[in-house]
Amino acid sequence: MGAAPDEGESTPSASPAREGSAASTGTRTTPSAGWALLGSEISVLFRRRRTWVMLIALAAIPILIAVAVRISSAGSTPGRGPAFLGQITNNGLFVGLVALIICVPLFLPLTVGVVAGDTIAGEASSGTLRYLLVAPVGRGRLLLVKFVAAATFCVAATLVIVIAGAAIGAALFPVGPVTLLSGDTVSLGEAGVRALLIAAYVTLSLLGLTAIGLFISTLTDIPVGAMAATVVFAIISQVLDSLPQLDWLHPWLFTHYWLNFADLLRQPIDWSSFGSNALLQLAYIAVFGALAYGRFSTKDVLS
Amino acid sequence: MTANSGSSNNAASGSAASGKAASGRWKRWVPAAVIPVVIAGAAIAVPLSANATSSLPTKTPQEVLELIGNSSVTAFSGTVEQTANLGLPELPAGVSSSSLGGGSATSGPSSSTPDPAGSSGAPGASASTGSDSSAATVSSALEMLTGTHTARVYVGGPTSQRVQVLDQLAETDVVRNGSDVWVYDSSKQTAEHTTLPAKSATPGTGEAGAPDATVQSPAELAQTLLADVDPTTNVSVGGDVTVAGRSAYDLILTPQATDTLVGSVSIAVDSATGLPLQVNVTARGAAATAFTTGFTSLSLDTPSSDLFTFTPPAGTTVTEKAAPTAPAAPGAGQAAPGSAPSDAQKPIVTGTGWDAIVELPAGADSASLTSNPLLAELTSPVTGGHLLTTTLVNVLVTDDGRVFAGSVSADQLQAAAAAAAK
Repeated sequence: MGAAPDEGESTPSASPAREGSAASTGTRTTPSAGWALLGSEISVLFRRRRTWVMLIALAAIPILIAVAVRISSAGSTPGRGPAFLGQITNNGLFVGLVALIICVPLFLPLTVGVVAGDTIAGEASSGTLRYLLVAPVGRGRLLLVKFVAAATFCVAATLVIVIAGAAIGAALFPVGPVTLLSGDTVSLGEAGVRALLIAAYVTLSLLGLTAIGLFISTLTDIPVGAMAATVVFAIISQVLDSLPQLDWLHPWLFTHYWLNFADLLRQPIDWSSFGSNALLQLAYIAVFGALAYGRFSTKDVLS
Repeated sequence: MTANSGSSNNAASGSAASGKAASGRWKRWVPAAVIPVVIAGAAIAVPLSANATSSLPTKTPQEVLELIGNSSVTAFSGTVEQTANLGLPELPAGVSSSSLGGGSATSGPSSSTPDPAGSSGAPGASASTGSDSSAATVSSALEMLTGTHTARVYVGGPTSQRVQVLDQLAETDVVRNGSDVWVYDSSKQTAEHTTLPAKSATPGTGEAGAPDATVQSPAELAQTLLADVDPTTNVSVGGDVTVAGRSAYDLILTPQATDTLVGSVSIAVDSATGLPLQVNVTARGAAATAFTTGFTSLSLDTPSSDLFTFTPPAGTTVTEKAAPTAPAAPGAGQAAPGSAPSDAQKPIVTGTGWDAIVELPAGADSASLTSNPLLAELTSPVTGGHLLTTTLVNVLVTDDGRVFAGSVSADQLQAAAAAAAK
C-alpha cells in the first residue's frame, strides 16, 4: 500500500530513542518510552502521503460546496438540500457546517476507518510489527499509542473541514454574526467557539469507531480487510439507526448521536446530547479497547 | 504488561514464552469480559436508582387536585419529551419531508404559507392552498403523532414563554413576550409575528394559537384533562412515581364508560410544587402507554429574560399574521390528523365524556382530505367511508366528506355516521 517505505524510514529513527530511554532508566515500560513512541507514531502517520491525500480530500468538500453555491445563479430554496445550505449565501461561516453534515455519515468514517484499520494490521502486513514489539513498551501501551495516534487523525480531519469551510466561506461570501437554530444571533467570536465545540463533538463521535477499527485491526494481518470492515460497521450502525422498528437499540449504536452536534447551535446550548454521546463513545472505547487488548496481548506475532 | 514485554524481548514473542505466559494468557481477556458487564450493570442500575422514590405521605385524589390548584410555580424551565405509540405507521426520519413534496415536515399546520392567499384567512389558511400543502400538513401532524419529540420549555411568567421544538439539525421556536408572539422555523428560515389582542393575554390562548400545540407542556394537557373530570370518570391516586428526578403523586383517571378506547390517564403531580410533570394515556386493554408527555428535566429557577426577546435574524422571511379571532379549538388534546384543518364550520359533538363523537361537516377541506394520497395510505376502506385507526382515536371520513372522530370503536363511528345522515 505504499506504507512500507515510510515504515522503513521511520523505524530506524524511532528505535534509538527507545533504546536510549530503556538504557537510561533501566525499566522496561517507562512513560518516556511511551511518549517517544507516540511522537514517532504521530509523525509517521502525518508523514504518509495517504494521510495527506485524505485530509486534502476532506478539505475539498467544503470548497466544492462553496464554489457550487457561489456559481449557481438560482437562489437556493430554504428547506431543500442539506440543512443550513440556504444560509451560506448570507453567511459564509455555514460552509463548514454544511460540509460536516455531509461528511459525518460517510467521508469521515471512511478516512477514520482507513487510519484505524491500518493501526496493527498495517504493521503486521509490512512486517514491522515485531520490531515495534522489541521496543520497551508493553503491548497494551503500544495499543494505546496506536489509538491516540488514530484519535489525533480524527481531530485533524474534523478541524480540516471546519477550518477549510470557514476559510473558503469567508473568501466567497459575506461573513457576519451567526444565526443559531433558535433564531438568536451570536457574535463572530462566540460562533468561533461554537464551531470549535462542534469540531470537538464530531471528533468525540469518531472515537468509538476508532476503537472498533483498532480491535478489527488486531484480528487480521490484511489492512485493507480491517479498513473495509470498520467502514462497514459504521454503515451498518447507521442503517440500523434509521429503522424505527429498532427503537430500543438506537441509544446503543455508536452512530446514534453523530448528527446531533447541531444541539450546540441552540440557545441556550443543549448539552445533553454532548454528554450522552461522550458516555456512549467512552463505553465503546472501553469495550473495544479491552477486546483489542485481549486479542493483541495474546496474539502470536510472527511477522 | 510487564510480563508480556519481558517475553516480547524475544522477537517471536508469543511462541517463545510458552510456559508462564500461556497460563496467564486468559487473564488478558479479563478486561474484555468485565467491562461489558460493568457497562450493562451501570446501564441498568443508574435508571433504577434515579427512580427510587422516598415514600410520600398518602393523599386522596381531592388533596392531589388541590395540590395542583395551589401550585404557585410561575417560572420554570425544562425539557419535555413526548412519545406517541398510537399504532400509526412510522416514517423513517427524513423520508416524510422529501417524498411528499410538501416541503419540510417539521413545521406545524398552517404555519408559513408564503402566498398571499394563505395569509388572509387566519386559522384554516393551510387548507386553501391545495392538496400539496394539505399533504404537508397531514405528514407533519403524522410526524408529531408518531415516535418521540423533544421540546424545551421556558416559562418566565404569565406573559413570557418560549417553547423550542427540537429536531435534528432544525428547531421551531414559539416565543411570547407580552402581546408579541413569534414563531420561528429554522429549516425554512421563516418567522411569523402575531400581536395578541389585550383581552386574550392569558397563557392558554397564546399557545393554543401556536402551530406546535401538539407538543403540550404537561401543565396544559393536565388542565384540559382535569376539566373533563366529571361523574364519568373514576379518579384515584396510584403509587409514588419519580419524574425528572422529582418524587410525584400519580393521579389516575379511569373512564367509567366501557365503550371508549381510553383505558386510563395518569398524571404525575410533583409532590413539592403541585406542578403536573407527566401525562400518560393508556389504551383500553393495553399494557404499554400509547401517549406520554412529560418532563425529563425541570428547573424551578426563573429563566434568563434574554430568552424571551426575539428579533427575527437577517435573511428570514417575516410574515405578519392576524391574531386568531375565534379561539382555535384544540379538540381533545391530541387532534387526529384528519381533523387538523378545522374550518369555519362548527364541529358537532354528540355524546359527552369519554365516548363523545366529534363530527365535522363536509366541506372543501374534507374533499381534499379524501383525495389525499397519504391519507389513502393510512386509512382502510370500510362501508361508508375510510377509517383511520389508532389505539386511542378512530377517525372515519365518509364518502360524502364528513369526518367523524372519537375515542370509540369503529362500529360506533359508523353508526353515528349513519344516524347523522338520516
